Amino acid sequence: MTTLVLPARNEEAWRWADLSRLPALAEAAPTAIRPEPRWIGLGGPHLVFVDGVFDAAASDPGRVALGAVDAATGHPLGRLATGEGWTLTLAADAVADPVEIVHIATGGASHLPARIALADDAVAHVVETFIGAGWSNRLTAISLGRSARLMRSVRLLQDSGFVSLRDEVRVGEGASHVAIMLGAGGADSRIDAHIDCIGEAAFAEMGGALLTRGKQRQEAAVVVRHSEPSGQSRQIWRAVAADASTASLAARVEVARDAQKTDGEQSLRGLLLQRSATVNLKPELEIFADDVKCAHGATVGELDARALFYLESRGIEPARARALLTRAFVADALDRIGEEKVRETFAADADAWLAGL
Amino acid sequence: MTYIMLKIENLHAEVDGKPILKGLSLTVNAGEVHAIMGPNGAGKSTLGYVLGGRPGYEVTEGSVMFDGQDLLALEPHERAAAGLFLGFQYPVEIPGVSNVQFLREALNAQRKGRGEAALSGAEFLKLARAQADALAMPQDMLKRPVNVGFSGGEKKRNEMVQMGIIGPRLAILDETDSGLDIDALRVVGDGINRIMRGEDKAVLLITHYQRLLDYVKPDFVHVLADGRIARSGGAELAHELEREGYGAVAA
Ligand SMILES: Nc1ncnc2c1ncn2[C@@H]1O[C@H](COP(=O)(O)OP(=O)(O)OP(=O)(O)O)[C@@H](O)[C@H]1O
Ligand SMILES: [Mg+2]
Repeated sequence: MTTLVLPARNEEAWRWADLSRLPALAEAAPTAIRPEPRWIGLGGPHLVFVDGVFDAAASDPGRVALGAVDAATGHPLGRLATGEGWTLTLAADAVADPVEIVHIATGGASHLPARIALADDAVAHVVETFIGAGWSNRLTAISLGRSARLMRSVRLLQDSGFVSLRDEVRVGEGASHVAIMLGAGGADSRIDAHIDCIGEAAFAEMGGALLTRGKQRQEAAVVVRHSEPSGQSRQIWRAVAADASTASLAARVEVARDAQKTDGEQSLRGLLLQRSATVNLKPELEIFADDVKCAHGATVGELDARALFYLESRGIEPARARALLTRAFVADALDRIGEEKVRETFAADADAWLAGL
Repeated sequence: MTYIMLKIENLHAEVDGKPILKGLSLTVNAGEVHAIMGPNGAGKSTLGYVLGGRPGYEVTEGSVMFDGQDLLALEPHERAAAGLFLGFQYPVEIPGVSNVQFLREALNAQRKGRGEAALSGAEFLKLARAQADALAMPQDMLKRPVNVGFSGGEKKRNEMVQMGIIGPRLAILDETDSGLDIDALRVVGDGINRIMRGEDKAVLLITHYQRLLDYVKPDFVHVLADGRIARSGGAELAHELEREGYGAVAA
């Protein structure tokens, strides 16, 4: 990397981001510290990338192709991901086994593009896990044909460093895109997505839970755009911030003039575990059609003292009572994951985060 | 053999700087049921919360011994593990936490506190189902989030199911009878007798009405007024109160 051009903080879409560590991380060298991949074990194709480089010996890519990727963007971080990457292409009606990808960072920076292209009626499930230390920067271009369905689950478990994701999604007629994110590691993060519902009755969901502690900063910035009628979108996000950390959620729904009968739901909720922590929420609606239903709510609060006492009065230790209530707070966001084994693993990761508080 | 289960002496407590309990003394022996009656705002729930250790309920004077140990020195969860159970006047709704999960955690935490082994999921479910049946609570309510969407009476019944599962030594039941229909009142009354009658157990029954006392016969009845025990008597005192009101009796 010769020059790293980062968005300025006065740009509205980046107002809560702190990218000041990225120039140093971009120059950092990989190390020999390579944590073991954390598999959920879905029995399908599985791929390991170490600092963005495919590790063939540790992988069984199945239908996933490695090499140059048909993905391009003007996004300030996404555009750095230009080299080789992975592509999952499914022909019409194909149903793929769940694909599991583990991204291991050893301390350096990596910029990896990916593409998921599902033809009409195809069905795919992709689970990604980020572990290690360093800067992992990803661009994922997704296109879903008529009635195609993609379930994507991503967990950010790096111990340190930065994970930046940029998703650019096009959802076709009657297609369904569901992406659930969990930030439960120690790295800073930016989850950034633009989802275009370009077909009639498209369904787009993106949400999840960001758990931050120490001085960590994690954020999600998602734009869903409906340009055709009868679409549905849901953005259910939960942010839990402990210590002096900052979690930020910006969710935007745009409804174009022709997108009548759009049904959009945004639920952004923040939980402060200490008063020294910060949660920023920004729900936004931009509606140009007149016959739409868009519900949005944004609240930040603390754990309910009455509920804590109720649990403790039955014998539950204070730390455990706090963990139970916090876990319940993020539950509806993670419960959106369809596959039981994945859902339970993500829930266990959230539990592990809570147990470490 | 009877012994002193609970000894409250000259208890003063305040909430948000406002004195509510003003020198309350009460002794409860093992094997006894004590009813506490008294006008609205007298401090009955406050007494329950102070004994349970609710944050914000500050003891400014006096002492409480439970089974020979200083109750006020214990954290709320330690009081529970020591055998204290507080039945809430307004049970709290906890979305996202199921009744079974809550109760299993609670029971096992108490068992751990007492150095006993944890119950397995299967052992626990058997116990929970038996208690739900005994209190005529539908099984599916065990799986629902704690108290969420429960009717007032269902919440009270759920408190009794919890008490049955936990098996405390001293139960402080704050208006467990309010909100119950006639049949439920009998079921709950029977439940209290079944779970809490015994020579190593005791009950403090906070109530406004004689009805529950027909099922759970108190050994003593106390009138709590303005933060103190204004009068004590036997079961007949409740009848007298019902006839004549607090004004005449406790003045
Ligand atoms: N946070 C508070 N600040 C000030 N006063 C309070 C606070 N909480 C409770 N009180 C007061 O304490 C007094 C005792 O309340 P408590 O709930 O103990 O009464 P009670 O005897 O249980 O009444 P009821 O029969 O209506 O249940 C009341 O006057 C109430 O208004
Ligand atoms: Mg009361």
